[in-house]
Amino acid sequence: MFWLAEGLVYRRQESIIHSLDPRVKLIISLSLFLLSLFSSTIFEFIILLSAIFLLGVLSKVLRRMIKTITFSLTFVIMIFAINLLVGYDLIFSIIISLRFIAIISSSSIFFLTSSPDELDLVMRSLHLPYDLIFAFVTAVRFVPVILLDAVQIIDSQRSRGLEIEKGNIFKRIRNYIPVLIPLIVQSIIRSEELAEAMESRAYGFSKKRTSYYTLHFKRKDYFVLCLNLTLVVLFILLIHLFHL
Amino acid sequence: MIEVESLYFKYPLANDYVLKNISLKIGLGEVVGIMGGNGSGKTTLIKHFNGLLKPTKGFVKVFGKDTRKESVAYFSKKVGLVFQNPGHQIFSDTVWNEVAFALKNFGFEEEIINKRVKWALEFFNLIQYKDMSPLLLSGGEKKRLCLASVLAWNPDFIILDEPTVGQDFLQKEKLIEIIKMLVTQNKTVIVVSHDVEFIWLLQPRLILISNGIIVKDGDCRSVFKDDSVLEKCGITKPQLVELYEELYPLIERPPVDIVEARSMMLKLLRGLK
Ligand SMILES: Nc1ncnc2c1ncn2[C@@H]1O[C@H](COP(=O)(O)OP(=O)(O)OP(=O)(O)O)[C@@H](O)[C@H]1O
Ligand SMILES: [Mg+2]
Repeated sequence: MFWLAEGLVYRRQESIIHSLDPRVKLIISLSLFLLSLFSSTIFEFIILLSAIFLLGVLSKVLRRMIKTITFSLTFVIMIFAINLLVGYDLIFSIIISLRFIAIISSSSIFFLTSSPDELDLVMRSLHLPYDLIFAFVTAVRFVPVILLDAVQIIDSQRSRGLEIEKGNIFKRIRNYIPVLIPLIVQSIIRSEELAEAMESRAYGFSKKRTSYYTLHFKRKDYFVLCLNLTLVVLFILLIHLFHL
Repeated sequence: MIEVESLYFKYPLANDYVLKNISLKIGLGEVVGIMGGNGSGKTTLIKHFNGLLKPTKGFVKVFGKDTRKESVAYFSKKVGLVFQNPGHQIFSDTVWNEVAFALKNFGFEEEIINKRVKWALEFFNLIQYKDMSPLLLSGGEKKRLCLASVLAWNPDFIILDEPTVGQDFLQKEKLIEIIKMLVTQNKTVIVVSHDVEFIWLLQPRLILISNGIIVKDGDCRSVFKDDSVLEKCGITKPQLVELYEELYPLIERPPVDIVEARSMMLKLLRGLK
């Protein structure tokens, strides 16, 4: 269970990528994400995935990125099988699966290297309504907390003789009821407590919010941004040359 | 019988050992207290006693069987764990079904289940709530319900993680009575707690843990004498022990509870007259 959290959740770390302005990290992630959406040959995906893995190495999160991918492998296999069954050819099914992997891993770059606080700042620089930002950032922040709850609930119920992995598929799904109900109840209780705690600290009282940290592009941010742009343009040009 | 031999444990993906070279034996009919600062590894240790966690090095045997060899359910039938937070286990539609859940998992017969659930609910004064949703109970009642749901299947070892948190004085006294009663039935109760006064009233064998190492294991009177170890674990002395040290040598040993303290004081005062 814990390895699942490991693959998804930000952890404080230091690397060249971590120290970039979160807006730059978002742009890198987003460019790779968009390129993955529009790519359509195996060759393109090889380049994209290499770039993603290279970023994984540079930001020292490769291991956890691979965990995210292994976790999503069930979906990949499903997508692959469905495509084949529906009658698409092998190459096309492989491309769709690769696209899924590229989408997942490119978006994980941003989430693995940016803290919830950075996410908050980025969203604010986009001038989104603060309530929306708060809800989104809180949701991200609570993922590890909820996973920790889940681990403890599973331990509790296993100590009362629950054997989750036993029985046929229907029995197994039913086995999750004693885990899911406490998990949902705990989450509702927690969100109520959070709301009360926030209100007692005057959340929403002042209309204009200021921020302790503000984002500033540094020289290396400009550099990485230009590099990113150049590579994206190069990639698109290259692809068009190949298609010619 | 729980045997722990040179147990080392590290959580997957963590770098350091949380438990280091733990060896101990716990027999039947004992009361055992486990104390230590936050994060010292107490909860991690007791999760080894029913096989929820498996040693990284060394072994844990329950009634001679290695915890790696059988399922958690197999060991849980003999070793009942009651966790700190009732919110992590309560899920049934009624209080009755909450207690029956484990008994059904362990495959008891319908008739026995009904008998045991009724007994457990009556014993913990919860029978009047039997058709109510357990989520509507108060915090302390939920805690009692969790205890009831474990005692219902009659395990040989009962392990309680922080049982006194959020309990009023009366419930604490009652808990002490229950623990003492269980011991007369040759059961073993292991209590993890930060509550020194509560631990003192149990007069247990006391194990102190600091940074994943057992730093002291002995009867609680001798453990509470060891100032340097207590300081290391950040544990204060029970008030009755303080009283005894204050009055030494006027009284010969620390009183085990307030009743004994009172009679000792009276005797002392009469002697002074
Ligand atoms: N699931 C987990 N994964 C990784 N590390 C963990 C996990 N659970 C606990 N730890 C770490 O192991 C150490 C011991 O934790 P444990 O819960 O056993 O302490 P404890 O003695 O029960 O503390 P407390 O008095 O606060 O209940 C802590 O440093 C904790 O951060
Ligand atoms: Mg604990």
